[in-house]
Amino acid sequence: MNRHSPKRRVITRLPRWGRVALVGVTLALLLGLALLAFSPPQTPFNASPSSSKASNGGFAGLGRAAEGFKAARPGEPLTFPTDHGAHPAYRTEWWYLTANLRDEENRPLGLQWTLFRQALAPPGASEGVREAENAAATGTHRGEKTDENTGESKRSSVTNPWISNQLWMAHAAVSQGEQHVVAERLSRGSPPGLKGSAGVRATPFAAWIDDWQMISTAPGTLSSTLPGTIPSTLSSTLSSTLSSPADGLSQLSVTATLDDTTRYRLTLTAEGPLVAHGEAGFSQKAADGQGSYYYSQPFYRVEGEVTLNGIAHRVSGQAWLDREWSSQLLGEAQQGWDWLSLHLTDGSKLMAFRLRGGASLQSRDYVSGSLIDADGDLTPLGPDELSLTPLSESSVAGRRLPTRWRLEVPGQELDLTISARHPKRWMTTRVPYWEGAVTVSDADGQPRGEGYLEMTGY
Amino acid sequence: MPWPNASSLAMVRTALVTLLSHYRRHPGQLAMLLVGLWVASALWSGVQAINASARDSYARAEALLSPNIERLERRDGEPLAYADFATLRREGLPVAPLIEGEIALRDGERLPVLGIDPLSMSAGRLGSVSGNLSKSAATASKTDDGDNSLNLLQPPGQTRLAPETLASLETSLDASPGARLRTASGARLPPLVVDAALPPGTLVLDIARAAELLERGTRIDGLLLSPGARATLPEGYRRTSSASGLSPGQLTESFHLNLTALGLLSLVVGLLIVHAALGLALEQRLGLLRTLRALGVPGPTLVALLAVELVLLGLAGTLPGLLAGLWLARVLLPDVAASLEALFSAPVGATLSLPWHFWAGSLAMTLGGLATAGLGMLWRTAKLDILALGHAQPSPAQSYRRHKRQAVLAAIVWLAALVLWVWPAPPGTPRLIMGFAMVALMLAGSALCLPVLLAAILEGLKRWLKPPSPRATLARWALADLQLQLPRLQLAMMALLLALATNLGVAGMVGGFRLTFLDWLDQRLVADLYLRPPPAAHEPWRDWLETRPEITTLLERREAETRLISQQGERPVSLQGLTPVPALTTRWPLLATRSDDIEAAWQALRDGEALINEQLSIATGLSPGDTLTLASPDGPFTTQVAAVYPDYGNPRGEVTLTVERLITRFAAPPGSLGLVLAPGLSASDKAALRQTLTSPLPTAGEAPAPTLIDQQTLHRQARQIFERTFAVTQALTALTLGVAALSLFTSLLAQARERRTRLAPLWALGLTRTTLLGVTLAQLGGLALATALLALPLGLTLNGVLIAEINVAAFGWRLPLHVFPASWAEALGLALLVALLAAALPAWRLWRAPPRQLLEEFNAA
Repeated sequence: MNRHSPKRRVITRLPRWGRVALVGVTLALLLGLALLAFSPPQTPFNASPSSSKASNGGFAGLGRAAEGFKAARPGEPLTFPTDHGAHPAYRTEWWYLTANLRDEENRPLGLQWTLFRQALAPPGASEGVREAENAAATGTHRGEKTDENTGESKRSSVTNPWISNQLWMAHAAVSQGEQHVVAERLSRGSPPGLKGSAGVRATPFAAWIDDWQMISTAPGTLSSTLPGTIPSTLSSTLSSTLSSPADGLSQLSVTATLDDTTRYRLTLTAEGPLVAHGEAGFSQKAADGQGSYYYSQPFYRVEGEVTLNGIAHRVSGQAWLDREWSSQLLGEAQQGWDWLSLHLTDGSKLMAFRLRGGASLQSRDYVSGSLIDADGDLTPLGPDELSLTPLSESSVAGRRLPTRWRLEVPGQELDLTISARHPKRWMTTRVPYWEGAVTVSDADGQPRGEGYLEMTGY
Repeated sequence: MPWPNASSLAMVRTALVTLLSHYRRHPGQLAMLLVGLWVASALWSGVQAINASARDSYARAEALLSPNIERLERRDGEPLAYADFATLRREGLPVAPLIEGEIALRDGERLPVLGIDPLSMSAGRLGSVSGNLSKSAATASKTDDGDNSLNLLQPPGQTRLAPETLASLETSLDASPGARLRTASGARLPPLVVDAALPPGTLVLDIARAAELLERGTRIDGLLLSPGARATLPEGYRRTSSASGLSPGQLTESFHLNLTALGLLSLVVGLLIVHAALGLALEQRLGLLRTLRALGVPGPTLVALLAVELVLLGLAGTLPGLLAGLWLARVLLPDVAASLEALFSAPVGATLSLPWHFWAGSLAMTLGGLATAGLGMLWRTAKLDILALGHAQPSPAQSYRRHKRQAVLAAIVWLAALVLWVWPAPPGTPRLIMGFAMVALMLAGSALCLPVLLAAILEGLKRWLKPPSPRATLARWALADLQLQLPRLQLAMMALLLALATNLGVAGMVGGFRLTFLDWLDQRLVADLYLRPPPAAHEPWRDWLETRPEITTLLERREAETRLISQQGERPVSLQGLTPVPALTTRWPLLATRSDDIEAAWQALRDGEALINEQLSIATGLSPGDTLTLASPDGPFTTQVAAVYPDYGNPRGEVTLTVERLITRFAAPPGSLGLVLAPGLSASDKAALRQTLTSPLPTAGEAPAPTLIDQQTLHRQARQIFERTFAVTQALTALTLGVAALSLFTSLLAQARERRTRLAPLWALGLTRTTLLGVTLAQLGGLALATALLALPLGLTLNGVLIAEINVAAFGWRLPLHVFPASWAEALGLALLVALLAAALPAWRLWRAPPRQLLEEFNAA
């Protein structure tokens, strides 16, 4: 129970940490999506999309208490390359890549590659589903040492390779104009010592499910620890440490086969450092201190081949990778989120999100973001420093979704209009949501960049 | 019909009450109508309930594991393991693992267990593999999909089972949904969850739990490849066809068609009763109808009222019939389920499970039948001539004309049957349907010409009798009287004819089959004992058995699966490997060989040629001397067909080679060993041998004991399966005969009063009531006997058609025609018995009638 006290302190210090918290909320929303995707509505920590709109546990049950899991809290430094791998002590985690590409005829093409991890039971219960209930009841599982690569406890024997506490889920999408191809893969975790059908390895970095892979092609990797104790110096520390070309995420090969006629193979090269959102990588998601660890690589240059519905394209462009993990993301009344990652024409990057809350004061919409300059220096944007306003809605998959937005950052003299390239970007996955490429223009209508928009809980 | 106003409403009500009052005065007719409808719908819906339940079971089995799913195996023959699954998944192949086994529950009950991985099944586009566990996106919402598959996984997991399985566990283990059963070894199963989409008898678990319960370690029993997956497999893996390649639904189609045909026959027989009853009710109400018309009831109103009456009667008869059908199905289903399981390995729940369309279909079928019977009545009412005098009886001239028409129609129907038989069926028409159509036409033609024939016989007899003697006079009167009764009795006689002929035909077919089958079984079961050693200990066992002096011959047998390659495409066949030693070849039955040389055929088998079973020969047209190509692991294997052998009870095509060839060319796994014991072995020696054979072999390490089965047990099991398979058929034919008897009885009851009017003058002329009774019984007995005699050739023909057409089309085997004269005598006796029983009550009432009552008949006149 002593874990609750730091959270209380966080709440009292919220005004100072506001910007950080905003970033965290974004991450939480993303996590929530992942959880929702994995979660059978009948199980206690997963709510169905319909019930998730109610206030019990928030979107996808992300607001539920994380009994038996570690809580994300500020002050824990990010450590690389370890943190590129899985964090089975936390309930939910993802590797989330979105790319704004152009084909040989300069036509825009959007692309997504996402791997979610969801724990079915706390790590101590890793001997399998049979023990999960006992372990949860006695609480003896806390602090269990787990294998970072697979998310499995060392205790779990290879005598039954199917037993796993981890569920892996991947989404891939390729979109161009009217075309929007979506695919989904599911797998249970790999047994220790055996290479299974899904998992993430920190060094050398590899994330995979079936034949969908995100593999490091960097010549070598460097282990580093971010101090992260002094928020004001955080971004510069990060950029100097993370811009090392030897980092595991600095060069990636990403592949996915969506169906018989749609697949892609991309090479990603980071042209800037990793950036940690919020407070040294802790991103607050709700006013009462829930949050997640959240860092990004927004500086990828992309080359590759995409075959969309049987037609092959040479593509190039830019991509954004998000890494986030947590055990409890949302406040109880939060229903869903809108999240943006933008590549601006001046080389800077902008991340912003809005957690849609209930009516009460405690659970009002929670807006947050990060402005990253071309060198990778990050400025957290708190609730008072930016505003995110829907401008117009489109009818998509029987729902009304805001596909035009206004994003204002008065302190940076930014007033941007964000428009979906195409409204029909509904992800027809187990947990459906909207994810698609957007264009950015300023108040004069001048193009200012492009990016990706995600909307969940509609 | 103009909608009536208030006053005409009263008129309509009065008219309806007047019409219905007929049944109050003639309760016998009402009973006949209702019984006819009741019986017709009971038998039909009973058969349909059995079919629907069985089909539901098949559909569920297929939804769980579609028979079209391909399986993968390793080329090196090693068992599949987790690593194979993971490797193939990482190569992008949509494979899903499967664990199949059996667990023993605490009370010793053994249940099949299926372990599946819902994640790879659904996500790998293996949508059809696991039924509602992972419905395809088209049919289920994504979230439901997620629910189902993840609940299986989510601690503490689920044990999914069909409602029937739960019901059977409830009685033995007090299981209920949510309960956690314990296995014999004490392990706890996940909580029980009822899933109506699962086939009965199987527990479905997450693969992790199944692997744990069955102690599989990393081993798996199968890798399923989603249909339509890319053609090329990684080096080191190959496709195997699933166990049969045929779904239980396809295999058992003919079985159910047979049942349906019998059900249809019962329906027709039942409707004949209804037809007779309606005709009678109309004829007797003709005067009443005319009066109503004369009083001002409009014709259309009258027709509508009669239609209302029909519907009321239909519902009153059909609904109890449906209930009776359900009861019948419940009684018969366990037998049907057992034989389907034994014959086709098709899992069928022993409890009814009925889709909505069963109810609708049964109701529609019976009411539709009633409508066909009632339309004639309505038509005649509509054309009613108010001024015509009522003829209760048709004139002889009318009868003659009608008989002529009927004879022509019968001839046409018979001709059509003949055409169907002779004419080559258009390609694509199922042969079985053609067969049944032919039988139906044959039966209809015979039923149509029955009254004509009976009338001709009566006329002939009448001419043949010379009048002078008083007895002959009486006989002539009896014949003439019978001629008058014939229109009333003809439908009952038709029903009797159909029932008798079917009984004869089916009894002949089953009896002949039984003889052939038992004979064949004796020939095929060459060895005294059949031993199936555990695969790992197969070699040591064989070596050891070869050294035993009490065993004269060792008959090794192996099985494998492959595909027959022909120009029409590939079809799955099973492969059998035999040891062609004299002990076997001298007894094993062969049907057709090249140049009728059986020894040469066996020599050809030893030289590498193949034997094929009759089913395969009929299905593909292959005959001795033809070339046959099989898919084998090393490429196509081509050989010649040396002979065709009978293979009763096997629904599949089979190719037999020597066991050596099966091992070398098809990598067949170890199978069973047949042991021919030395003659004159003492009982104690046999017991000692059995003792040894049922314990583990010391030299074979830790391998478990083999399974042993002796010839008598096999024989008994096969007989049981046989008897059960035909139990339903025989029950249905017997019931049909019962219906015919009922039909006759109700017809007689319905005309009992009228008969008294006819007999009263004879009594008044001085004939004793005993004589009259004798005459009445003789009339009916004679009529029934004549019908039965006509049924004999029809039954024999039916028997022939069943053997030559229906059986071949349905099961793929042809039987020799066996004739059972005893059953003919039985049929004649039955017909007589049925007629006399049916006549007994009316006759008894006549006999007991006081003279005053007979005298009163003249008042009416």
